[in-house]
Amino acid sequence: MTNLNAIDPAAVAEEARIENDDVVMAKSAIILRRFLRNKTAVAGLVLFLALTVFSFAGGFFSAWDKETIDPFNIGMPPSAEHLLGTSQAGIDLYALTVEGTRISILIGLVVGLVSVLIAAVYGCTMAYFGGKVDKVMLFVLEALIMMPALLVVAVATSGGGDGLRENVPSWLLLIIVLLVFSWMGSARLIRSLAMSLMQRDFVKAARYMGVPARRIVWRHLVPNIGSLLVLDITRGVTGAVLAEVAFSFVGIGIKVPDVSLGVLINQATSQVQTFPWMFWVPLVVMFLLTGSLAMMNDGLRDAFDPGSGSVGRARRKGK
Amino acid sequence: MFRYLAKRTATYLLMIFLTTSAGYFLAVSTLQPALLEQERIPRPTPEQVANSFRLKGLDPTLSPWERYIDWLTAIVTRWDWGRSPNGALINAEFGDRVWISTRLFLAAVVLTLIIGVALGVYTAARQYKFQDRVITSYSYLAYIIPAPIAYFLVQLGAINLNDTVGERIFFVTGISTPGLDGGAWVRFVDMLAHYAVPTLAITLVGWGTYQIAQRQYLLDNVNADFVRTARAKGLTRNQAITRHALRVSFIPVAQSIAFTIPAIFAGGFFAEKIFAWPGVGSWSIDAIALQDVNAATATLAYGSVIFAIGAILADFATTLVDPRVRVQ
Amino acid sequence: MSGGASNAVLSVRDLNVRFNSEDGVVHAVRGCGFDILPGKTLGIVGESGSGKSVTALAAMGLLPETAEVTGSVRLDGKELLGLSDKAMCRHRGNDIAMVFQDPLSSLTPVYSVGQQIIEALRIHHPGMSKQAMAARAVELLSMVGVPGPRDRLKAFPHEFSGGMRQRVLIAIAMANNPRVLIADEPTTALDVTIQAQVLEVLHTAQDETGAAVVMITHDLGVVAGMADDVVVMYAGKPVETGSAEDIYYNPRMPYTMGLLGAVPRVDVADKASLVPIDGIPPNLVRPPAGCSFAPRCPLAEEACLQGEPELLPVGGPEESGALPGSGAHQAACIRTDAVGPGVDVHELFHAPPVPVSCFDAVPRQERRTVLELRDVRKHFPLTKGSLIKRRIGTVRAVDGLSFDIREGECFSIVGESGCGKTTTLLEIMEFNKDQDGEVAIGGLSNKAASDARTRGAMRRELQMVFQDPTGALDPRFTVFEVLSEPLENAGMAKPAVRKRIMELMELVGLQPDHVNRFPNQFSGGQRQRIGIARALAVNPRLVVLDEPVSALDVSVQAGIINLLDKLRAELGLSYLMVAHDLSVVRHISNRVAVMYAGKIVEIGHVDTVFDHPRHPYTRALLSAIPVPDPRLERTRERIILRGDLPSPLDAPRGCNFATRCPVFAALPAAKQEKCLTAVPPLGPEAGLQAGERAAGPDQQFACFFPDGEIDADMLVFHEASDLPDLRSTTPRTEKMKGTP
Repeated sequence: MTNLNAIDPAAVAEEARIENDDVVMAKSAIILRRFLRNKTAVAGLVLFLALTVFSFAGGFFSAWDKETIDPFNIGMPPSAEHLLGTSQAGIDLYALTVEGTRISILIGLVVGLVSVLIAAVYGCTMAYFGGKVDKVMLFVLEALIMMPALLVVAVATSGGGDGLRENVPSWLLLIIVLLVFSWMGSARLIRSLAMSLMQRDFVKAARYMGVPARRIVWRHLVPNIGSLLVLDITRGVTGAVLAEVAFSFVGIGIKVPDVSLGVLINQATSQVQTFPWMFWVPLVVMFLLTGSLAMMNDGLRDAFDPGSGSVGRARRKGK
Repeated sequence: MFRYLAKRTATYLLMIFLTTSAGYFLAVSTLQPALLEQERIPRPTPEQVANSFRLKGLDPTLSPWERYIDWLTAIVTRWDWGRSPNGALINAEFGDRVWISTRLFLAAVVLTLIIGVALGVYTAARQYKFQDRVITSYSYLAYIIPAPIAYFLVQLGAINLNDTVGERIFFVTGISTPGLDGGAWVRFVDMLAHYAVPTLAITLVGWGTYQIAQRQYLLDNVNADFVRTARAKGLTRNQAITRHALRVSFIPVAQSIAFTIPAIFAGGFFAEKIFAWPGVGSWSIDAIALQDVNAATATLAYGSVIFAIGAILADFATTLVDPRVRVQ
Repeated sequence: MSGGASNAVLSVRDLNVRFNSEDGVVHAVRGCGFDILPGKTLGIVGESGSGKSVTALAAMGLLPETAEVTGSVRLDGKELLGLSDKAMCRHRGNDIAMVFQDPLSSLTPVYSVGQQIIEALRIHHPGMSKQAMAARAVELLSMVGVPGPRDRLKAFPHEFSGGMRQRVLIAIAMANNPRVLIADEPTTALDVTIQAQVLEVLHTAQDETGAAVVMITHDLGVVAGMADDVVVMYAGKPVETGSAEDIYYNPRMPYTMGLLGAVPRVDVADKASLVPIDGIPPNLVRPPAGCSFAPRCPLAEEACLQGEPELLPVGGPEESGALPGSGAHQAACIRTDAVGPGVDVHELFHAPPVPVSCFDAVPRQERRTVLELRDVRKHFPLTKGSLIKRRIGTVRAVDGLSFDIREGECFSIVGESGCGKTTTLLEIMEFNKDQDGEVAIGGLSNKAASDARTRGAMRRELQMVFQDPTGALDPRFTVFEVLSEPLENAGMAKPAVRKRIMELMELVGLQPDHVNRFPNQFSGGQRQRIGIARALAVNPRLVVLDEPVSALDVSVQAGIINLLDKLRAELGLSYLMVAHDLSVVRHISNRVAVMYAGKIVEIGHVDTVFDHPRHPYTRALLSAIPVPDPRLERTRERIILRGDLPSPLDAPRGCNFATRCPVFAALPAAKQEKCLTAVPPLGPEAGLQAGERAAGPDQQFACFFPDGEIDADMLVFHEASDLPDLRSTTPRTEKMKGTP
């Protein structure tokens, strides 16, 4: 589901556990070991890195680029010359896929990273100041959650005039709009986690030592919500990739001439029966992309949360 | 409790007002219907365009603030949401479509919730068994497919099914068969045949999150101290879980209803687009492409209202299952 | 006396419990066995991880399915182990019931108390009519002393205080008159006055039903008052068993002896050091080859490492083969001959000498004042509504507090939770000029603390040690980073920081080469030492101790208390301590203040206040503390207060304590009027009346009628009896009277 704007109850459930189980506590070396022990997660990471490399370096393995039209091969299935076939315009589908993957990964990474950054700053600010500031900021946050992102994306990317559409590529426009609408869920979670951390004795101890607020946030708060941030980044990247594909698929996200996985899938829908490869190739790439992220997310969650997974169900020890 | 809900409603009304206003300014400053008019043949003169828009209350020469005041006054005094660039009244266009969309959302939301929660309970009771693994994997899979593509795949599946059977069982586009005669029963069956596929599609994609959340919350409560107390009274493990842990695990799920409504709402819009339903969603997406400020804002307001209803429902559901909220 | 399994209502034999954990198989219980006779109480004592709770859960069949349980648990001769969950359900809650530790989380939040009690009845009596069940529920609630039982049936758990919830849990457990009641740390989460109430409820319940009670606790005082027989567990095994008298007056296993020596006594003024037991219990993933206590035992010798010793009779061979619970005194130790009544436990465990501070010789008046509070108040508005707030009352968390602390002195604040003692600490730590009242630290007043420099100077005078040693250390910091934070903050240079950290590690008894470890690699006691080292880093004059040992096991606690004592003497520190354990307070403090509802009700030298308490609340508080001395526990009178702290909404106009006061209750109406209308001032003995004892030199209290008669209803007296056997047949002279 394209829950860009929504807060995923599953995610809330997971993170609530992480908070309660004091997983934030586990140390990076242990986390890394646990992550590496999880085969799915490592496979996800490898796959994601491979796709990234493919999207940047894939162009070198083909004589064709995304603009050159091959007049002799229009709408052809995969062949020796065109590895993945050609589009109806006669453009090499391999080259288009490389380009589309790059745009999708770019959108995903930028939106995922920056929105978590916004969420962290916003959430920590709310938690740190509390009181009225918290109330007002929470109201703004809920109001933003209320706005249907879909419509705003549609408005922003369809807007005419100002030369906006000419000067700003549609993928950049999409990134901006997605950023505005993708950080609220994380911000709420970070706020509640930071609030509980503020109550911890080690934060109090630092305050009573006279350590300045800035240092406390930087040295105690941020590292301790680190695991949540890492999880939110992978989740944010997935969400952004999915949102891009979904919006472009109904024609309101990335607009031609820009290419993305969503655009490629969209273009192929009308002839899915006649030119199936045009539809399935970008779709499979998208699956690999979101799937690899989900696998990583899963592994990270297990690495942060010693209680999850099938090991050690009997953790209760005698008192 | 009534006062509590009334207060929440007031807060949400304020939020709806603010988001809609913000949406109006965004739409007014980005959407430029005048540019589209110039693509007409024969091309109208700028004076003609301005004149025509002035009559429709879309005067581009006024400042956004003046237009906002006019727009707001019309709504407050006459409940008039303005006109489209082609002159159509938003109220009229909206009126027909709202019920189509709302019916679809309601059916989808209710089914999504019931199936998601039920499967969550079912899988939690069979943790790490075959059924749990299959269903939970499916939910994670649903999480990594963009909603419109999933709908499209469902549509493809329905088409293939129709082809295989050689008879049209399901309608994959539209809301009803045009020019259908017959009694109420025939019309009802026709409606079901049209509703089935879109509702199924939204539900199939939607219940995953609820299944995962419900499963997780229930598992978190399975080893709670109060379940142990219930077992110490003489309840079997399963009885203790169904009578005690289950009810408690509903609380966070009820609270989360509000925040999944936007996702289902977006899903509904996508579904209308894919299944060619004449609902608010597909209409507004087309209208926005035609630079229609008033249609965009009205749809935005509609979305906010749906969210607010979801949030109030969530509050209501929470007060039902959690006595601690009731006292306030 | 020689009971045996024939008439035992519950007999456990060779119980073994193993869990799978990530580190391997944990052998949590290793061959536990005992018998318990009807109407008797068996105490199972041990520290955390000793396997006592697991034993109870295994008997109840409540362990997770993944646990591997072997051995035998017989209820009236019927084997319970191996029964299916369903078959076991016929016994659970019917013949054998259990009360758990944490009353706050043990009741289902979404059902009313009545529903939860009635459920226990319906399961085992499906044919019972609704009216009969409701009547029985009311009866049960009044038995456990819940006021207004008929109305409270409809209330939800969150509307009850912790003590009230524990009563409800006892009511649920007693619903079907079980033959055996297992109470797993039933009072650990409660205040002492509430603990006394709940223990009385357990007494009453046992008397009315004749149930056998298994009392699981770490508190040697609670066991002393409750148990006929005692099992001491260590590392999953019983290491010593016998009658309460045997265990307390003639311990023959070094661990038992150490444990008894580690507990401070509230009734003894003698300031001998406590007995620390070095080291930590073994990891049960790899059970020890020899005696599990050998690594910590001062008497250990080569033979102790050759195989685990069996439980063997201590007295003579005639009792051999008897089981715990039958009263026979047994110990799992090959050196029982070296332990006994004649052996001084302090010598045995090399308890440090009592430290002497250079300030001890200086009269108090001549020492410098390090902290002074003058009329400090902290009131919170109590509001209702979230959009438009209405003020419906005021919580007087701290209400006009004045006291001072001199150099080299330990000053403690005691009281129930919610009395304002923690708020007082926070007010001192906050230290800003907007506070209501004056806080002066080392001569620096909060009223003058406008700039950062003054506040920085104050921070160097005053540091804090927290209750939970785990929560107080950032898990991502190494010990070095933890200790360097205050030093760097004070602007110390890098090499000096390093040197200072090494000094600190040594000072608190940690190995200096452990500085690069993370907190989770240390035991609880060691973590608390790190917390103390951090507090001492900048050489403060005053250290605030917030329940410094309450999260620790008894044997570890002793080490920390001794360390605090030593540091105070060596460094000339002053302490401000908040603690709920009055035994610890008595041991470590010089002066003490008793707080009730935001006010000090009695203050003075610790021995004066503890030996001659004047305020009725102090008297009740002290009498509520169980003493690890079975004979004394059984014979002494105690005052059982009614109810909980009053809600801030109906705060009395006169004396705060009047609503619960045992003296007030016995006063004639004319005198009661005074308590209800005037607030008693805190002061030394005023208006001396004939026959009244003169107050000690350092003692002030806030009561119009000190030494007044205690209302008989609130006085509980257990009839003395030398033979513990007779206890169950002797009716109690006074029953717990329910709160009105």
